[in-house]
Parts: sequence; C-alpha cells; structure tokens
Amino acid sequence: MTFNRLLSRAVFVSRAGCRSAFTGSKPDMTNPNWFRVGLAFGTSAFLWGLLFKQHSTDTHEYKVRNGLE
Amino acid sequence: MGFIPEEGKSLPPPGLVNRNSLWLAGVGWVSAVLHNAINHRPPVKSGVHRQFLLATIGWFIGYHVTKYENYTYARLDRDMNEYIKLHPDKFVPKEQKTFAEIVEPFHPVR
Repeated sequence: MTFNRLLSRAVFVSRAGCRSAFTGSKPDMTNPNWFRVGLAFGTSAFLWGLLFKQHSTDTHEYKVRNGLE
Repeated sequence: MGFIPEEGKSLPPPGLVNRNSLWLAGVGWVSAVLHNAINHRPPVKSGVHRQFLLATIGWFIGYHVTKYENYTYARLDRDMNEYIKLHPDKFVPKEQKTFAEIVEPFHPVR
C-alpha cells in the first residue's frame, strides 16, 4: 500500500490547486478582523471630527458676517 | 453635496442634530442591519463597527444636505421678495370686507 502511495501522484498534489468543497472555508465569525474594525471606527471618528470642525467653522463664519462677534 | 457660494455663508448653519442627518443616519444603519441579515448574521448584535460607520456617513451627508437645502430656500425667498418689491402693481392688497357687510339679514322661520 505504501508503495502505491509513493507512486501515486496524489501525494504531490498541493492543497492549493484542489477544487474539493472541503478545502473552502466559511467566514470565521468568532475571530473578528481587528484591522477592519479599527479602520471602521477610525474612519467614523475622523468623519465626526470633520463634521464638528465644519459646524464650528460655519458658526464662526455666520457670526463674523453678521457682526455678532 | 452642493457647493454653497459666498452669499450663502452668512446664513445660520444647521444644527448638528437635524432631520436630514437623522434620516440618512437611519438609512445607513438599516442598510448595515440588512447586510447582516442577508449574510445570516445576527442583525443588530453583529458588525457594530459597520453599523456605526454607515450611520456616521449618513449623518455627515445629512448635515451638508441640510446646509444646501437652507441655502436654496433662502435664495428662493429672497428672489420672491425682490420680485414682489419690483412689481407692487401685481400685489395690491385686496379690500377687506367684514362679515357684517356681506351677510344678509337673518329672518328665522320657526
């Protein structure tokens, strides 16, 4: 049996080229992709900062143009 | 997000909390929840970072939409008032009659 295995090409076939359904993996929901989580929260924080800055600029511009400050 | 010209900058800016922001943030959040549901994940409990990001994007866009909306309505109001001032003959105040002058005398038939 071992002799057959030595001759058989199946031994040298790497798993990467295999199209069997058993090598496909389902998305692993128990280990979060922390990089993407950090990127999402970081982008959110950036957008909120941008929004606060824009609002404060607009308020200041309004006060200056109407002589309130 | 329209570009607001110089004249629009003297308008009061919309508050950070405004209707368009709330609505578009809700749209973003619901789309994240739907995305979870379609992919067989717990809809509200999973992917909080996605929900928060999409809601933030909606809120941001809503603020600028409100700003543009305020500018548009202010411009339309100003143009309308200028037209009224330039054409006073078309906007003569109508002569007001009181009800006493219009109503016929009442003769009850009991």
